[in-house]
Amino acid sequence: MQLFWLSVGFGLVTASVLAVSAVGLSLQFGITNYINFAYGDFMALGAYFSYALNNELLHLNIWVATVCGSVGMGLFAVLVNHFILAPFARRFRKTFYVLIVTFGLSLVLLNLEYSIWGADVRFFNMPMDRAHHLGPILLTNAQLIVMGIAVLLMLGVHTLLKTTRLGKSMRAMSDNTSLAMTSGIDTKRITTITWFLSGTLAGLSGTVLGITEGNLTPAAGELFLFVIFAAVIVGGVGSIYGAMAGALLIGLATEISAAYINPAYKLDIAFVILILTLLVRPSGLFARPGKA
Amino acid sequence: MKSPATIGSSGGGAFGEAALRCEGVTKAFQGVHAVNGAGFDVPRGQVTALIGPNGAGKTTLVNILSGFMTCDRGREFIGATEVTNWPSHRIARMGLMRTFQLSRELGGLTVLENLLVAAKDQAGEVLWNIFLRPGMVRRQERDNIERALDLLETYGLYRLRDARASELSGGQKKLLEISRAVMAQPNILLLDEPMAGVNPALIDRIGGYILDLKRDGVTVLMVEHNLNVVERICDHVIVLAEGRTLAEGRLSGLRENEQVVKAYLGEVIDAGTVR
Repeated sequence: MQLFWLSVGFGLVTASVLAVSAVGLSLQFGITNYINFAYGDFMALGAYFSYALNNELLHLNIWVATVCGSVGMGLFAVLVNHFILAPFARRFRKTFYVLIVTFGLSLVLLNLEYSIWGADVRFFNMPMDRAHHLGPILLTNAQLIVMGIAVLLMLGVHTLLKTTRLGKSMRAMSDNTSLAMTSGIDTKRITTITWFLSGTLAGLSGTVLGITEGNLTPAAGELFLFVIFAAVIVGGVGSIYGAMAGALLIGLATEISAAYINPAYKLDIAFVILILTLLVRPSGLFARPGKA
Repeated sequence: MKSPATIGSSGGGAFGEAALRCEGVTKAFQGVHAVNGAGFDVPRGQVTALIGPNGAGKTTLVNILSGFMTCDRGREFIGATEVTNWPSHRIARMGLMRTFQLSRELGGLTVLENLLVAAKDQAGEVLWNIFLRPGMVRRQERDNIERALDLLETYGLYRLRDARASELSGGQKKLLEISRAVMAQPNILLLDEPMAGVNPALIDRIGGYILDLKRDGVTVLMVEHNLNVVERICDHVIVLAEGRTLAEGRLSGLRENEQVVKAYLGEVIDAGTVR
């Protein structure tokens, strides 16, 4: 039983990282209508930004470095959209072409990370951690902070989408871009803001993934991207709340199964859940008209 | 995109009274001219009908005027400002709003939210205002909700305010479209066949709303096939045929115009639209 509760703890931490990253991916997909296959590399690059601030350049506290690195990744995502993706999206009506561009971008970013930081495993400079018992669940300080960040962010994204004018404009655009434009919404600006938010969430989730895993490699983001896809598709593509629910389901299921089956099958478990969901409910658990 | 310019005194029509003006507008699709040199003035504060046979280019013209589509040649002015080929969100911010022939709604948003996104010049649209000026953003949002609820009451949609827009009936979607356009406090309203597919009782109601808007000073340009409606609520009629302006004036006068009767009115009378 102790093993079960231990894995629930791990599951909640994985779900937290997954929720932040899945929401970031879904926000951007809802607005631009194409999947960013370089998202995993955005995560890794954001993590390296935080790593550089924490361990190489300014030696900032890990959490301060996390915030700065994530915002830096948000700005980087805006530039990538402005100079690379948006010109392709304007030129080609079919999003398929932009999809291929994001594949290429993924390779470029991965190799950029290798050329700057090498293939060696890197570590964040973190204070000594302590474990706490929360009922039967055992969690470290860092894991608790990561879960707290995820909960706050989910509440923040919910508030943004439901109560603010900006969020409503984003949902309107996700629903029908041309109608949103005729309602006076500046869709170009909303797209830029969305890339900023998506990039920031990618950077943040990449960094907290590195913190919870205890190490950092350029390929970490790409591997995790498959789990994010599973969470996003299980929840319902483009649905923000679906992404949150999918993250919780996949996070818990992969970690609990890892306690009883070989942990090497974690990714396989995620995809079994994905296949079962698609068989029962092809559009995902929370798919509704209007993506957000 | 051309920079804003002021129109000169040359050209037809009574400048100064026109809320919206287009000159020589042309649009071709793969060599076929949908609009071919159309030009007219839409008089300020009046209800103007844009009529013409199917394929005359009415909807294409509305798409161009509302920034939904760019034109190949020609110019467009809102008041004295040239807005040729501006994107639709900038045209909307100049005070020109439109509706569609087949109602379009933001289906994933509630009826109330559909109106709220159309409110103009909102501080809450800017990311940092949400954090730096939360009081102002909240105040604006509260005022908008109040105004949106008033409009929904007027248009008979109040009890549906929290329903998803995708769940509305066809007639309710028409009313939602018009109320969303009105929420933006437009100076000019382009209505693309507002009475299409609507039952007679609702036609009367929509007609009443259009006249109310006119009383509030809104300029209306509506594409309409139902000549009874045109006769009842429109002050001015523009006839479009083969992408060009064929004639303008009051409907009673146009009935005497041989060209107009030949190109359009004869066909409509034969089809029984005018009883």
